[in-house]
Amino acid sequence: MAWAEVAVAATDAKPCRGDKAGAIIAAALALPGVTAHAESAPERGVVALKYLNYKDSQPGLDRIAVNAPSIYVLAPISPRWAVDGSLVSDSVSGATPRYHTAISGATPRMTDKRLAGNVQVTRYFERSNVAIGLASSNENDYNSKAGSLNASFSSDDNNTTWNVGLGYASDKIGSTNDATLHETKQTSELLLGVTQDWTANDLIQLNFTLNSGRGYFSDPYKSVDNRPRERDQAIALARWNHYFAGAGGALRSAYRFYRDTFGIKAHTLGAEWVQSVGRFTITPSLRLYTQNAAKFYFDPIYDPDVGAPYPPGYFTNPPQYSSADQRLAAFGAVTVGLQIGVNIGADWLVDLKAERYEQRTGWRVIGTGSPGLDPFQATWLQVGVEKRF
Amino acid sequence: MKPNRISSSLRLAALCLATLAAPAAWSLDAGAAAPEINLPGVKEAVNLASLKGKVVYVDFWASWCGPCKQSFPFMNDLQAKYRAKGLVVLGINLDAKREDADKFLNEVPAQFKLAFDARGESAKRFDVRGMPSSYLIGRDGKVVAAHKGFKEVDRKDLESRIALALGGN
Amino acid sequence: MSPAIAMEHFLITPSRSSRAVCALIAAAALGGCAFAPPQPWEKGNLAKPQMSMGRDPLDQAFTQHIYGSKEAASGGYGVGGGGCGCN
Repeated sequence: MAWAEVAVAATDAKPCRGDKAGAIIAAALALPGVTAHAESAPERGVVALKYLNYKDSQPGLDRIAVNAPSIYVLAPISPRWAVDGSLVSDSVSGATPRYHTAISGATPRMTDKRLAGNVQVTRYFERSNVAIGLASSNENDYNSKAGSLNASFSSDDNNTTWNVGLGYASDKIGSTNDATLHETKQTSELLLGVTQDWTANDLIQLNFTLNSGRGYFSDPYKSVDNRPRERDQAIALARWNHYFAGAGGALRSAYRFYRDTFGIKAHTLGAEWVQSVGRFTITPSLRLYTQNAAKFYFDPIYDPDVGAPYPPGYFTNPPQYSSADQRLAAFGAVTVGLQIGVNIGADWLVDLKAERYEQRTGWRVIGTGSPGLDPFQATWLQVGVEKRF
Repeated sequence: MKPNRISSSLRLAALCLATLAAPAAWSLDAGAAAPEINLPGVKEAVNLASLKGKVVYVDFWASWCGPCKQSFPFMNDLQAKYRAKGLVVLGINLDAKREDADKFLNEVPAQFKLAFDARGESAKRFDVRGMPSSYLIGRDGKVVAAHKGFKEVDRKDLESRIALALGGN
Repeated sequence: MSPAIAMEHFLITPSRSSRAVCALIAAAALGGCAFAPPQPWEKGNLAKPQMSMGRDPLDQAFTQHIYGSKEAASGGYGVGGGGCGCN
């Protein structure tokens, strides 16, 4: 559905897009970030290729591996029109726990392929622009189609830009384990944001997003997983880029607050230092994340009579909703990353980025993390090449 | 400290609304006397008053400005074509660092007069609203027309205005 | 909870987290730097690729998808503005 999600791997046994109701607009808006002035098409076109290699694991079990090549093209048609689009093909393989972080000989291994693409057309006016986008994602048990409409308006001095975005996605969900499962989900999204040149060396951005989803949110590959049929989200994002002229580097930081009707509140804090060294660009990065558990998430304490994966009283006093998905538990996570880019000539850019991610319930910042879950680790590498023309 | 922060955020809110509401009026209107320019050039000082009697095309540019790169070949053509008729193309660089301007000029040579204004004083006097900005100044020293930005499609318009200002010599 | 009510709750409920959010945003926005938006010819540093809000779309897409698949929160990002002020 959301391009950001369709773009890449089902980085889980079966894509969690069941829980992920957001980022339709994020995806569409993330794309033409080449030159972001409101009033004219970018002067140069771009063709970029990027390859992702991703592996995750928990102690005692290598889980999912993903290989995903992708391509992005931005073509200014005239000073008033531009078209951009992308395509990604994920090959996913591996296994994930059916509940909590339980591994057994029966933990199923799978392989899957997903193809996703999107295209966007932007029309530029004197002080504004409007963009229409379409996205689609296909794999054997999940199909998503989404549309978006975005508009930007700049002030006369071009120091302030207002952004509005609207998105809609319609998903069809099935299951390779259950041929009778034919579910759907619809999501609408609204984004309001402003970007401001604060000083000659500071850029600030504030975005507010509302997202409303109705339909099937459960994960058909997880045991005892029955989620509400609606999920509304509210997200506030603040970003700040500061340029240090003396060092020739920029500090890019972002804070995001997230809350939804599953009862989840999350804080994300990220920072990266982009340092120019001749034709090289070195960017170390750090990201901190913390979330509480969903209202209907239950800890790995099982019914004494029936046993795992059922929570106590599951049959005698059935809960309305339940999930043992560790992604809905309370935890904290840290990502460290390093990117090295090289400019070759005026038109070429090659870059390599490595990131290491670890998620632990003990790292939850506010309150206590969910008990009984193994730590989760992931490492991913991206190799990219880009040509401007 | 606290009252300052509150008032500055209110100022921001007011400014944001004001900048969106303000009409795109230009305070430097056609017919106004061109502000003075007295700046260092490549070899010698450049003075606008001393160019009276010529038609001057003043262009404010900077090394980091994409459209500026595209406008240079156009200005080179203009200067070559209309020099005999009395056109002087004057490119005023607004880079804070001279090295940035020099690097740009290495890649995109200028065959017209250049002046350097690192502090942007002349840009303020000319009420520059966007980069690049160009001003056509008639033989009497008065502003004939102003233009913000540069796109290939602007060439024809700009050139015809210049030809008009040069008169039927 | 309807989106409107969710938004209202987020903004008005004096919970610890929403107060922290407001404080952080205010601090980030006002912290140290006086508000001094640049003149059109002073935007050289803002025009540098290091300063753009959304420079590498494929990277952003991969990363946002990975986090969206491994964590409960997702979304919130959008297109950047400002920049070099050319044209």
